[in-house]
Amino acid sequence: MSDVAALPRTLIEQVKAEVRTAAWFAALGEPLTDGDRADAGAYVKALGLDTLTLGLAHDWPEAERALKAPDWSTVWWDREEAERRCLLAKAETRYPERALWTALTELTTETGDIVHGKAGVAAARMGGAAKASIHVAAGAAAQAAYQLALARLARDAASPFESKFRLFAAGRWPLGVAGSTLVLF
Amino acid sequence: MSEPIIVKTVEELKTAPAEYREAVAKLVISHAINELYGAQVFDEPAIAYAPTPYAKWLTCRVAMEEYGHHVRFKQLGVQMGIPEERMMPGTGKRPLSIFEFPLKTWEEFVAIKLLADLAEILQVEDLLHCTFHPLRNLARATMPEERFHAQFGEDFTAELIKTPDGKARLQAAVNEYFPYLPSFFGGSKSKNNEIFRKWHIKQRTNDEMRQDFMKRATEVTTKYGLSLPEARQAA
Repeated sequence: MSDVAALPRTLIEQVKAEVRTAAWFAALGEPLTDGDRADAGAYVKALGLDTLTLGLAHDWPEAERALKAPDWSTVWWDREEAERRCLLAKAETRYPERALWTALTELTTETGDIVHGKAGVAAARMGGAAKASIHVAAGAAAQAAYQLALARLARDAASPFESKFRLFAAGRWPLGVAGSTLVLF
Repeated sequence: MSEPIIVKTVEELKTAPAEYREAVAKLVISHAINELYGAQVFDEPAIAYAPTPYAKWLTCRVAMEEYGHHVRFKQLGVQMGIPEERMMPGTGKRPLSIFEFPLKTWEEFVAIKLLADLAEILQVEDLLHCTFHPLRNLARATMPEERFHAQFGEDFTAELIKTPDGKARLQAAVNEYFPYLPSFFGGSKSKNNEIFRKWHIKQRTNDEMRQDFMKRATEVTTKYGLSLPEARQAA
């Protein structure tokens, strides 16, 4: 475990603490607040997609339709992926690859267990969700925690993954971009 | 044969016969490595091929669960005193042949979830009554997720076969990957399997499991109007 000690464990522990205290999926379908709008604006701006409008899914079936929309934006997904790869490359230059990989795997495993339960509670409370959608929500949320950890390890405070995580932490789920709209749930 | 021993904790394992300890260690190492190979070679790359955000995040979750299985088997192995290096790919144990074929399409991933995860379910099922209870409990914890992964394969199979082109591409993927799966269960005269059964760590012979897999694989592919190609000889 000596390699892991070379990682800034306080950063990983801080992300884990934020994961544990986040209001995962608690505000799904609720009217958007000024804070939600500010975080969504920061997110799309950091991705270079700041001409998008903001939309809201009101319930699980509407969210599922947005997630399967034929006009979903591959540009949005690809920008996130490019950012992720860039951050990962930076992190890999700073820390031993095996230690980094192990820490991120353990983080997403722990996060996955937490967010899966929270998504299940939200789906039960609101009703109307397909069973697989709980897994989809957990995948999205755990990915957001992984992305946040990468941003922190690469020391990129302006990363879109900071504002994306804030949306999740505030109980939202950014569903992605369809047409010219960023859809929040 | 004498009554099987029951080992309820990792602590108790320390006083179990050497053959028993070695057999359990082999299984834990094998599961830890194969779960990791599966996640790295198939699940994580599949995220890029998934057709919608819904499918991408569902695949993310599946990949994380497979990585999680590796983490849990590795944690058990560490508790048992197995060095971490022995539970990582590329450190001696030869990977299964299916892992030598990198994923190229979404249809291939769906075929793998439909059929390779069915094989994985059978392997985990055989541990549900394992005499080493920490491994039995881990198998029980893993099973719902493995079943979900196979259901994922069925759900997306149902989507793909809606069009003739999708069905043809899925059938081609089944044809490519299925022949490698029966050898997943090991040789007919496996000495390891004999020892696993002697100690009631596992319950069935490799051939019994292979036959069961062939039956279930035939059922699930027939259900969706697909067919199975000829399998290769068992290892």
